[in-house]
Amino acid sequence: MANPSPGPSAEPSAPIVSLCDVVKDYPLGKLTVRAIRGVDLDIQAGEFTVIAGPSGSGKTTLLNMIGCIDTATSGTVLVGGQDTAKLSDRKLTQLRLDTLGFIFQSFNLVNVLDAFQNVQFPLLLQGTYSAAERKDMVEGLLQRVGLGDQIHKRPNELSGGQRQRVAIARALVTTPRIVLADEPTANLDSKTGNDIVDLMRELNRDEGTTFIFSTHDQNVIDRADRIVRIVDGLIADDTAQQRVQDAGA
Amino acid sequence: MNSLATLRVLVEMAIRDLGAHWVKSLIVGSLLAFGTFLVVTGGALLDSISTSMEESITSSLAGHLQVYSADAEDSLELFGGTGMGSADLGEIDEWGPVRDTILGIEHVEHAVPMGITQAVVFGRSEIDRVLEALGEAVDEGDVGRQQALLGHVRTIAATLREEVESRSITSSDPERAAEDLAAIEEVMSADFDARLAEDPGEALIFLDTRIAPLAQDGQLYYLRCIGTDLDEFSEVFDRFRIVDGQMIPEGRRGLLLSKRFYEIWGKMTIARNLDAFEDRIEEGKRIAGDATFENLVKANAAQYQRILFQLEPGEVGPLMTTLKGVMGTAAPDSEAPEEILEAFLLVDDDTFAARYAAFYEHIAPLITIYELPVGGVITLRGFTKSGYMRALNVRIWGTYEFSGLEKSDLAGASNLVDLVTFRDLYGKMSAAQQAELEDIRVEAGIADVSRDDAEAALFGEGGLFGSQERTVEEPEEEELVEEEELDEAVSLSLIDDRVYSKAEMVEGMVLNAAVILDDPVHMPAVTAEIESLAESEGLGLQVVDWQTAAGIVGQLTYVLRGVLLVAIFVIFLVTLVIINNTMVMATMDRTTEIGTMRAIGAQRRFVIVLFLLETVILGLISGAIGGGLAIAFVGWLGHVGVPAVQDILVLLFAGPRLYPTLSLGNLLTGVVVVTAISLLSTLYPSVLAARVPPVVAMRGKE
Ligand SMILES: Nc1ncnc2c1ncn2[C@@H]1O[C@H](COP(=O)(O)OP(=O)(O)O)[C@@H](O)[C@H]1O
Ligand SMILES: [Mg+2]
Repeated sequence: MANPSPGPSAEPSAPIVSLCDVVKDYPLGKLTVRAIRGVDLDIQAGEFTVIAGPSGSGKTTLLNMIGCIDTATSGTVLVGGQDTAKLSDRKLTQLRLDTLGFIFQSFNLVNVLDAFQNVQFPLLLQGTYSAAERKDMVEGLLQRVGLGDQIHKRPNELSGGQRQRVAIARALVTTPRIVLADEPTANLDSKTGNDIVDLMRELNRDEGTTFIFSTHDQNVIDRADRIVRIVDGLIADDTAQQRVQDAGA
Repeated sequence: MNSLATLRVLVEMAIRDLGAHWVKSLIVGSLLAFGTFLVVTGGALLDSISTSMEESITSSLAGHLQVYSADAEDSLELFGGTGMGSADLGEIDEWGPVRDTILGIEHVEHAVPMGITQAVVFGRSEIDRVLEALGEAVDEGDVGRQQALLGHVRTIAATLREEVESRSITSSDPERAAEDLAAIEEVMSADFDARLAEDPGEALIFLDTRIAPLAQDGQLYYLRCIGTDLDEFSEVFDRFRIVDGQMIPEGRRGLLLSKRFYEIWGKMTIARNLDAFEDRIEEGKRIAGDATFENLVKANAAQYQRILFQLEPGEVGPLMTTLKGVMGTAAPDSEAPEEILEAFLLVDDDTFAARYAAFYEHIAPLITIYELPVGGVITLRGFTKSGYMRALNVRIWGTYEFSGLEKSDLAGASNLVDLVTFRDLYGKMSAAQQAELEDIRVEAGIADVSRDDAEAALFGEGGLFGSQERTVEEPEEEELVEEEELDEAVSLSLIDDRVYSKAEMVEGMVLNAAVILDDPVHMPAVTAEIESLAESEGLGLQVVDWQTAAGIVGQLTYVLRGVLLVAIFVIFLVTLVIINNTMVMATMDRTTEIGTMRAIGAQRRFVIVLFLLETVILGLISGAIGGGLAIAFVGWLGHVGVPAVQDILVLLFAGPRLYPTLSLGNLLTGVVVVTAISLLSTLYPSVLAARVPPVVAMRGKE
C-alpha cells in the first residue's frame, strides 16, 4: 500500500480505526433520521471487537462508515490513519481492496462464480499475483476454512455455513489489516454460527488481523475481546473503556 | 485490472451472467440476431439489385454515359419519362463532329446517337370495321350477312345513343345533339332494313357520315419512339434482339416495335385478355372462387362480336363446328354462332388450356390479331416543336426486345426508328427543307424567318406540307392522293423506300447519345474529359451517368437504399430501446451483486466493462447466428431466385428473377452494426450499474 500510514509498530498507541464525534443522518422523506449521534471510537490493530446492540441501534451504519462504503454526515473517520472524507471514490475503492475485508450477513457471493473464483476475485482486482501464486493462496485459504474439497462448487451448491466460510476466505485472501463483519452469524444456526466465530477468532489469533463485527447474538458477544454496546446511535458501554477505568481504579 | 486474467474472469462472468439471465439474453439476442440478419440480407439484396440494375440499364438503352445538349430545358429520362414527348432536351445539331470528339477519348468504345420523340397512330374504330364488312356484304349481295352486320351496327348505335344523350345535357350545341339522336333513331328503326335493301349505297353513306363520326375515334396508340443508328444500337446493346419480322435493312427507314408494346397495346382485345388469363393461371391463380377473375372472363366472353364481325360468311359454319368439337359435351345445343362463341370464351380452370390453344389455332388465323401488323405500314403522326402535326408512313419491320427484360414495361416502353424518321417526326428541318424555306423567304421578301414562322410556312396552311387537317392523310412525299385511293395507297406506295447512305442516316441532328466505355470505372474520368472538350470546342454538351439518365428508375436504388437505411435505423432504435430497458431492469435486479463487487474493491470501470462485455459477447454470438442465417437465406435465394413480381422489378433485377449474392462487405456491415447497437444500448445501463453505491451490499438479501 502506497499510503504512509503509521503502522502499529512505529507508534504502538496509534489506533487503526479512529472515529471522532461521528454523526450520521439519513434522509427519510422530509425528515432526517439521526442514526449515529456523535460517536468517538478508537480501535487498535489486532483487536477482536464486537459492536453489540439491539436491532436499529446503528451497528450497520457504523460499520459502513468504518468500511469506507458510506460517509459520515459530520465528524471524522480515520481508517489506517487516512481521513476517509477526503478521498475520491477511486481512492476509497482502492483502500477497501487493499486494507479492508468484508463479511456480510447474507454472504453476498457472486452467484455465477464458484468458490475458488469468488475467493480469487479480490486478487484479480489487485492484479499483483501470478496465476500460480493466486492458486496457492486461494486453495490454502479454502483449506484453512475447511472447504478444501468444495473448491469448484457454486454458491447455490453450498450450505449457509459453507458460503459464509467462502466469504471469510474472500475477505482474508488479500491479508487485509481490518475485517468487517455485519452480523455474520444472523443467517446461520447457532452451532454453525459458533463454528464461524471460532474460525474468525483463530484467524485473528494466528494472523493478527483486526476484526470488527456487529451482532446481537449473546453467544458471539461472549467470545469477543472487546464489546462496544451501542444504543440509539450512541455508545452506551465499551469494555475497553471499562478496562481502562478498572485499571485506573 | 490490467491483467489478462482479469479480462478472462470478466469474460467468464459475462458469459455466465448471460446464461444466468437467459430470458433476458434470449430476448436481446433474438433482437440482435434479427437485426444482423436484416442488415446483411438487405445489404446483399440491394447490392445485387444495384449490380443487376446497372447491367440492365447500361446494356439496354443508356450505355455508361449519356450526352445531350447543354441547352436542354428538361433532364433526360430514358426510362419512364412521363411527359408525352414534351421534354425539351435541346438538340445536338451535328452528330458527326460530336461523335468524332467523343470516340477520340480514351476508354470510349462506342457512341450511339439517339433521339426521343412521341408519335401517335390512329387505329380504326370498331364501327369503321363493321361498316367496311357491311360494304363487302353489300357488294357480294349476301343478305344474311348484311342482316347480322346491321345488327352489330345497332348494338354499337345503342351504346352511342346513351353517350349522345348524356352529352346533350352538357352540350353547348343542343341542336346538333338532337340531330345526332335522330340519326341514331333512324338506324334503330325497322325502316332502315328496307332502306339498306333498296339503296345500299345511300344507306352506307348515311352510316358512314352520320353514325360513324359519333363513335369515339378508334384506338389511339401513343408510341414512344427512339430514333437511333440501328446498326450501331444492335451491336452495342447486346440484350437487343429481334423477335418477330426482321431487322430494318441497312440504309432503309422504318420502325421496330417493342415486343411488349406490340403484345399489350397492339393486340386485339380478346386475344390480349386471353394472354393475360394465361399469365394469371401460370402464376397459380384459379378462376373458380376468384370473383374478379370470373368477372374478367365473363366480360371477355361478352365481346364475342369482335370476332364474329370479322369472319367471312363461309368461315362461320366450319369454325363453329370446330369450336363445338373442342368444347365437346360442354357445347351449347344452339346453332347460333353468337351463343357458341360466347360459350367457347366462357372458360373455366379445366377448359382454359385447350380453348386457349384452340383460339390461336382456329380463330386467330381468320381475324386481325394485331392492329399494327409486322410487315405492314402505319401512319405515324408526330407533333413538331411548334405544335404542327406531321404524318408519315412507316413500315413496321419487326418487333424487338431486350433479352431478360421481356416482361418489363419500362424496358419495353420505347419503339425504335431510324434517325431520318426520327428527325421527320421531331419536326427538325432538313437541309433541303431549309433550302425550300430560303426560296419562300426570298419570294415573300421576308428578311428573317424565325423557326416557328418557318414551320408555319412549311407545314401550315398552303405550305409545303399542307394544312394541319390535311396532314392526316398527307404522306411525307409530296404526292397528292385522292381520298378513296388513300387506304390502299398507305399500305402500298406512299412510303419512302429509298436506301440511304450511312452518312445521310446518321449525320445531322440528334438529341442525345449513349457512350459506352471499356470499363465503367472510367466513368468519372471520361465525363470530365467530355465536359472539358465540349467546353474547349464549344460543343454545348452536358454529360450524365446512366443512373441519372435512366430517370426515376435510376434513382430507385437510392430510394431502396434509403428505405433500407430507414428500416435499419428504426430497428436500430427499437432494439436500442428494448435492450436498454432490459439491461436497466437487469441492473436493478443485480444491485446487490454490483454493490458487493464495489464494496470489496471493484472500481466503477470494472462494472462498466463487465456490462458492456456482456452485450458485446451476446451481440457477437447473435450476430454470428443472424449472419449465418443471412448467408443461408441469401444462398437459398441465390439458388431459387427472387421473382420479379412487379414490372419495375424486371428492370431492376435485369430479368424475371434476381439471384442475389452476399459479399464479405455485407457481413462486415452486419458485424459493425450489431456491435454498435450492443455498445450503444448498454452504455446507459452500464453507467447506471457503475453508480450503484457499494453500501447496498450491506442491505443485501440473498
Ligand atoms: N438507508 C437508510 N435510510 C434511512 N434510514 C436508515 C437507513 N439505514 C438505516 N436507517 C435507520 O438508521 C437506524 C440505524 O440502522 P442500522 O444501522 O441498520 O441499525 P442496526 O444495524 O443496528 O440494526 C435505524 O433507525 C434505521 O431505520
Ligand atoms: Mg444491521
